[in-house]
Order: sequence, then C-alpha cells, then structure tokens
Amino acid sequence: MAKAKTKTPKPEELAKIDYSPPEKHWTEVPVEFRPGTYCYGARPKYLEEVDMPNPREWQPYEDDWKLPENWKEIVLEGMEDRLNKYRTFRLFMDICVRCGACADKCHFFIGSGDPKNMPVLRAELVRSVYRKYFTTGGKLFGKKAGARELTMDVFKEWWYYFYQCTECRRCSVFCPYGIDTAEITIMGRELTNLLGCNTDWIAGPVANCYHKGNHLGLEPHTIQSNIEMMCDDIEEITGIRIEPTFNRKGAEILFVTPSGDLFGVPGVYTCMGYLMLFHELGLDYTWSTYASEGGNFGFFTSNEMARRLHYKIYAEAKRLGVKWILGGECGHMWRLIHQYLDTWWGPADFLEVPKSPITGTVFENAKSTKMVHVVEFTADLIRHGKLKLDPSRNDHLRVTFHDSCNTSRGMGFFEEPRYVIKNVCNHFYEMPENTIREKTFCCGSGSGLNASENMEIRMRGGFPRANAVRHVNQKYGVNMLANVCAIDRAALTTLMQYWVPDVEVCGVHELVGNALVMTGETERTMDLRLEELPGKEEEEEDV
Amino acid sequence: MPFIEYGSTKVEVDDEGYLVNFDDWNEQVACALAEREGIEELTRDRLEILRFIREYYRKFNYFPILTGICHNVHQPGNCVAEQFVSPVVAWKLAGLPKPDSMIINILQGETPD
Repeated sequence: MAKAKTKTPKPEELAKIDYSPPEKHWTEVPVEFRPGTYCYGARPKYLEEVDMPNPREWQPYEDDWKLPENWKEIVLEGMEDRLNKYRTFRLFMDICVRCGACADKCHFFIGSGDPKNMPVLRAELVRSVYRKYFTTGGKLFGKKAGARELTMDVFKEWWYYFYQCTECRRCSVFCPYGIDTAEITIMGRELTNLLGCNTDWIAGPVANCYHKGNHLGLEPHTIQSNIEMMCDDIEEITGIRIEPTFNRKGAEILFVTPSGDLFGVPGVYTCMGYLMLFHELGLDYTWSTYASEGGNFGFFTSNEMARRLHYKIYAEAKRLGVKWILGGECGHMWRLIHQYLDTWWGPADFLEVPKSPITGTVFENAKSTKMVHVVEFTADLIRHGKLKLDPSRNDHLRVTFHDSCNTSRGMGFFEEPRYVIKNVCNHFYEMPENTIREKTFCCGSGSGLNASENMEIRMRGGFPRANAVRHVNQKYGVNMLANVCAIDRAALTTLMQYWVPDVEVCGVHELVGNALVMTGETERTMDLRLEELPGKEEEEEDV
Repeated sequence: MPFIEYGSTKVEVDDEGYLVNFDDWNEQVACALAEREGIEELTRDRLEILRFIREYYRKFNYFPILTGICHNVHQPGNCVAEQFVSPVVAWKLAGLPKPDSMIINILQGETPD
C-alpha cells in the first residue's frame, strides 16, 4: 500500500500562516487528508492484542475505512452511553456560548490557521451531532438549531481533528465556563475507537505496554542491560560503580519512569541523573522490569484502555511489598495517577503515605495515590540541604524550562522544577509569562501525536512553543530547554531542530546529575552526555 | 521481494532495504547494504559497531542504547552518528528487521524531512 509521505516545508515557508477563513460555511468545507497532517491508521495486530474492535488494514486517506455496516448506530449508542456516564461530557456539550475566548489560544490554530483547530469549532464538530440526536431543539429544527447528521464525512472529520488535538487544555484556562475541550477530544477519540479507528502510533505502544509492560516493548533482560549500560557511562564520568536492583521484594520504594528514559536520547541522560541521585542518597529502592512504563497511551485511546494499563504499577508495588512509589519525570502519568486513579481503582490503601527517608517529609499531596514525582522528591531534598551541589558544572548551559501541560496546567506543578533547576544551574531564564505555567504552550506532539508521518502538523502545533524558546535564545543565549516529561524530551528535540537549532533538550534530572557532588567521585571532566566540560578539556600543550 | 547482490549471491531485502533474514548477514552483505545507503566504505570502526549491534540484538531482541554501543566498542560517545549519520542506518546495515516507527523516532529524534 502506498503511504503518502511528503517533505515537510521549510520553516520559513511554514511560518507564513494563512489566517483568512474559508469562504464557505464550516459545515460545507470537507476534511482534506493532506499528507503531513495526519497519522497512519492502527494496524490490526495491535488492536487484536488488546481486543479492540474492527481490526483490519486501513488508512485514513483511503475512501473506504472498512467500517461495520451499522457504524452509525455504534457511534450514536456510544455517544449516549458516554453522555450518561460522564456528566462533564453532557455539560460541555450544552454550555458553550461560542464567545470565542478559546479560539486563538490553541497552538494548532496558531500554527495552522485552520479554523477547525479553534477549540470552539473542534468541539462544535461533536456538538452539532449531539444536538441532532440528543436535544429537542436539534431534533425539531435541525440545521437552524446548529444540528447536523452524523455522516461518513462527519466521522472522518472528527477523526482528523481529534487526532490533531493534543489534549493540552490550554483553551480551558481561558474559557469563562471552564469547558475542558480535552475532555471532548477524549470522548471523540473513544467514539472513533469503537470502530477500530485509532492511529498506529498510539495503538502500537498500547499493545506493547499490555504485552511487555512498556510502550517500547523492552523485555526484562533488556531493561536491565540498558540501565547497566548507563551505569557504565556513569562510572566513566564519576569513577563510581552503581549497582541498582531489579524486582527486589521488600525494597522501601518502587521507582517507575516512562520507558523513553530507558532507551531514547536525551531520556537516558535523565535516567542517569536518577541513578546517580538515588545512589548518593543510599535510597532503598528497586526498579521493576514488569511495571516498566510510567506513561499510558491507553489514555489517548479510551478511559477503559487507560484503566486497564494503569494498574500494573500498583499491582507490582503490592507484589514487591514496597511502602510507596516514586515516579520519574513524566507528564500525563502524573495527571492519570492523581486525577483518575481513585475513580478507577480506589485509593491505594495497601501502601503507606510516602515519607522521604532522607528528610522525613510526608508527602500529604500523595496521601491517596502513594506516588511522588521525582522532582517533588528532589526539591524537598534540596530544601533540606541534603544534596551537595556544584551548579558551576552546568555553567556551559543557559537553561529555560518548558512546563509540561499535564504537570503544570493539569496539576499545578510549577515551582518544584524551577526550584531544582535554580539550585543546580547558575543560568536560568524564563520564557514570556503567557507561554509558561498554566498558560504553557504544548510541545505540539503530546497525546500520541509524536509520529513522523504527521510532521508538518507537529511543527505547526509546536510553533508557539518554539517561538517562545527562540525569544529567550535570542535575548539571553538560552541553549537548553529543560522539562519533566518523556514525550517532551522526544518531541521538543525534533521541534528545536526544526525551529531553533541552537537549543538542545534535557530532563531536569540530567542537570541534577551534572551538579550532584557524589561521595568518592573523581574530578568531573565530562557532563552526562560524555561531552567535555568547558575548562576541563584534556590539556593540550601550548605551542 | 527485492534482492541485493554481492558476488554471485543474492540476498532478500524488503521494500525499504531492510534485510529479510537476520542470519543472511555477513560483511559482504553489509557492504552491499552500505552502498545502497551511500556509505562508501565499511571501515573497521563501522564494522565493530555493526557486529556489536547484531550481537546485542540477538541476545536482547532490541537495539542497544547509543552511548552503550560506543562504550562497548571503545569509540567516542557519539560514534554511531559520526559513523553512520543516523542510528537507523546503522540498524539497517546491521541486518536488523525494520523497526516500528516509534523506535525510529525515538532513536533519532526524527528530523523533519
């Protein structure tokens, strides 16, 4: 099957964004599957792995999506179920007054100029169908009441735009009614999944996670080997051999991080930072090769799939008999743990309320979930003066911080990462106020959009974030974009290569690892990337 | 199914040039694959990297982490990029089957093209 892949336009071309609205009414503008703006369809093997409906070979650019004959009934019944089950869904369908406050807040609209990427209009794609089948006004007055039939074209349009929204929720910050458009996207994606219409990029990690415990499909001995390889590098840098434990029963803490940190660059450098920190603390912790994924691509599929994949972390905590769980630098993991776990599975009462064995701090915020984010943990250590740090080892870096949507906007997790960075780096610069904290701009590739075939839309969606980075790059010479999310580490690397090539990307704990003065270490001449530290190069004879 | 030829031997590859049978690999096959990727010479350093990748893949069913490769073949920390430009090229020349797109992206932080 010929897959349509095109070259992504050059940045200077892409930056010429056309904001002029189409001449026709939005309902009369059919969706166009333009290469570079959508992901490939999920392969059947991935759907079969997790018993999702309608596994078959299909592609979104083909006319025939190979749907069951009664596809419309399936979608409408699914919609009714969800309207009854989720009060938010019904509420958000009903209360929008179309004031337009959200319209220019979406990074995809800013980067593409496509009006259907205005959150209000993206939601209207579903609202119009909701009115037709679930409201009296819509049933009686049809088009005049803003209602429209669910047709194949409408369904395809849903698919196109719901897999273009990153569920970042920036629009909801500006909505006077507090409508969370991500919730609408989540429902929209659930409905497409009833017909087996997921993207390959999401379905693959879901199947891997179900089968092997992590999105990348790393097997237990491979996880162990990868971490040992990182320990080799740490030994080369510090002279200290770290020997972490795996699946150790009776450890006090289970540590779980997104699998991107176990394989990808720059994630592995972040992971080296964790390893060094825990070693220096003498922390009684274990890795698990079973619960080896902090992220959850089920969340980008359906709530039920997220629920299924989610619990293995807790099942493993129970099996190993740990007291509490420490989570690596991840974005959506955090939102899932703190905002969904109790509803799905009830409080994790078989664990203890997390208490730092080093500082004695009790993490009251994790009283129910028993899971602490490693940046919270480290910020607490620094606050209590438990770490010896030499921030000058990061002097070659001028750092800014990207707030990940789920940790910042979703969780109010603003100060901890900044506090840590400011203690381990001497040069920290904020991006403009309306692009950080709760108003942070998305990386443009979250919620499972981090594929390669949709590169143009990713670069468009990431444009506002990149623009803010470019601002601090030009004003302060920023050359490092720190973050606390594995998707960010992968997605922003590409985004920077495209829009701001001078800037690299790192996790916060890479910076911690650089600055951490470890007991018995040799003099550092390299950073965690094995690059020579300025002023510590191997001495060359002056001629 | 397409083939690549070296000497009088033909070896099966897929549409994108990945070796179909892992065990068909030898140095000559690697040279033929390299030629297709525009890499002129398989130096000793390059071959050492490829052999390590193969050995690792056989044991761990996965591509090794990049710094781990360089550490184990005693080459500079960015050896894969230096020798092959992209880790995905090294993957292909080592005779591994085509990876899923997620692995490709993560491996090279997919550059827009």
